[in-house]
Amino acid sequence: MPDACPPYANKRRDGRELLLEARGVEVRIEGAEIVRGADLDLGAGELVAIVGPNGAGKSTLVRAVCGLQKPSAGTVRWSGRELATMRGRELARARAFVPQRMPVPAGVSVREAVAIGRSAHLRPLARMTGGDRAGIAAAMERAGAGAFAERALATLSGGELQRVQIAIGLAQEAPVLIADEPTSQLDLGATIDVAGLLRELVDDGLGALVVVHDLALAAAIADRVVVVHEGDTEAAGAPAAVLTPERLARVWRAEANLTAAGGRTALHVAWLDRAER
Amino acid sequence: MARRTAVFAALIAALLVATGASLALGAVKLPIAEVLEILFGDGGHGPNHQIVTALRLPRTIEALAVGAALGVAGAVLQGALANPLASPDVIGVTGGAGFGAVLILILFPASIALVPVSALVFGLLAAALVFGFAWSGRNRGSTGKIVLAGIAMLSLFTAATTGLLASFPERAPSALFFVAGGLTDAGWEGLRTTWPYFAAGGLLAALLIRPLDRLALGDDVAASLGSRPQLIRLCAGVSAALLAAAAAAIAGLLGFLGLVVPHIVRMAGGTSSQTFVVPASALGGAALLAAADTLARTVRAPIELPVGPFMVVLGVPVFLYLLRKAV
Repeated sequence: MPDACPPYANKRRDGRELLLEARGVEVRIEGAEIVRGADLDLGAGELVAIVGPNGAGKSTLVRAVCGLQKPSAGTVRWSGRELATMRGRELARARAFVPQRMPVPAGVSVREAVAIGRSAHLRPLARMTGGDRAGIAAAMERAGAGAFAERALATLSGGELQRVQIAIGLAQEAPVLIADEPTSQLDLGATIDVAGLLRELVDDGLGALVVVHDLALAAAIADRVVVVHEGDTEAAGAPAAVLTPERLARVWRAEANLTAAGGRTALHVAWLDRAER
Repeated sequence: MARRTAVFAALIAALLVATGASLALGAVKLPIAEVLEILFGDGGHGPNHQIVTALRLPRTIEALAVGAALGVAGAVLQGALANPLASPDVIGVTGGAGFGAVLILILFPASIALVPVSALVFGLLAAALVFGFAWSGRNRGSTGKIVLAGIAMLSLFTAATTGLLASFPERAPSALFFVAGGLTDAGWEGLRTTWPYFAAGGLLAALLIRPLDRLALGDDVAASLGSRPQLIRLCAGVSAALLAAAAAAIAGLLGFLGLVVPHIVRMAGGTSSQTFVVPASALGGAALLAAADTLARTVRAPIELPVGPFMVVLGVPVFLYLLRKAV
């Protein structure tokens, strides 16, 4: 029962440049409808968290708007250009996708991995220029990976590897970074680091679309939260307005409420009190 | 970086030594100065001139081309399939080429000149079948599907080859040399037919270096960078098929080289970055095959032994040594 908070009833409230505009996106995988009629907007300098229960279609939706998964219906526009008509190189400069955890090839250093992220700017067989090298160094610096630039990927901790993955995305120099559960395998300290990094990048003007499982984290870092439920974007808006106890009960089947004060957020959950449901 | 430069330098040195030995040694041993004189100076027109220019030079070039091709084919496939066991065997090329050659040698021994062409055609046919099956139905183009289709096709063609050999035991010895793998003194004939395939496969491999490095960070990162992971795998398969089929047409079945050389250079260089592995595999494969071929025709001269077994004898100890150090 979609309710009080229709996703995009009106156009953007502020004058921010709209980088991503997705309408009525549907994805079918082997006949099964995973995403149906989802809408999504993202502006520059905005962090949008995609939340929803397991199997709701969050990752599939994000992959579809990125061009990693072919949608069966709907339109996706990146800075006004139709996704379906964009070439690979063009797409690489429109958005960067950071997977949950990438494979780690043996003997490849952080700098080399980030250089691979830069390759979307190079012509086939062309050599890297000084500008490319500077771009690689800047991406590592912004992601806080500069301190271990010469280390092999295989020697990094989970948090360090996530910084490198974000640096690879930044090396693409796209205005939008899309991350699929960037903190799901990290401990508390590393999660705080990565969350802070994403927020910082957004405050510097990047648009970020982040799939998040942890609702308290989503509420803390996101400008807007989009709830995906049964393949549909059923609500979008400020975290406090969207993550209401009623919705937590209906979508997540959880008796819980979200509190936010002074930059701290908490999800108060009745962990064992599920009898009446 | 310094380590990679050192490995490159060592490979180039090995390549030069192997090339020199391949030109100088054989049933008739020539001093290297005389070889250089014949090739670059005014070496006259004596019998030694004939030996070097008509027999040893084409054979050396063949060894270098075949070795480089198999090294690159293995490197590109292992990168594209993210599987350390990948080699030209795994996409069916070796099995197909073996069948193509044995078919001519056993059933049409009078048309022996067709052996390279038949090996090439059947090698590419087998690879095309593998990719055709791997790219149909669900999960098209996945690594698992390619490898399984390849192994199925390899089994099929190997069974057909064995069947032919068993049905005509009196003609089997003529085919044995091809199956074991080895180079011959047939002059420029083999390269004249196959060079376009070497060139096309090599060029495609060079273009694939950067896409393969992206693929090493996973399909999602490659897609984020605007590449299509399945297309990269398909192109890698085509490149490896061209190189391995051309190599088999000239030198028979030397699958071991394609499997082992990329591993050797990866372990020696301490990196799996394709910018290093692909060119280093070309150098290493060329050096290894030239050295093995020289050994194969000198240890029991004037009898020539097939190079396949020799390469295994040369390559396996190095491989096992590095393997022990690596893990």
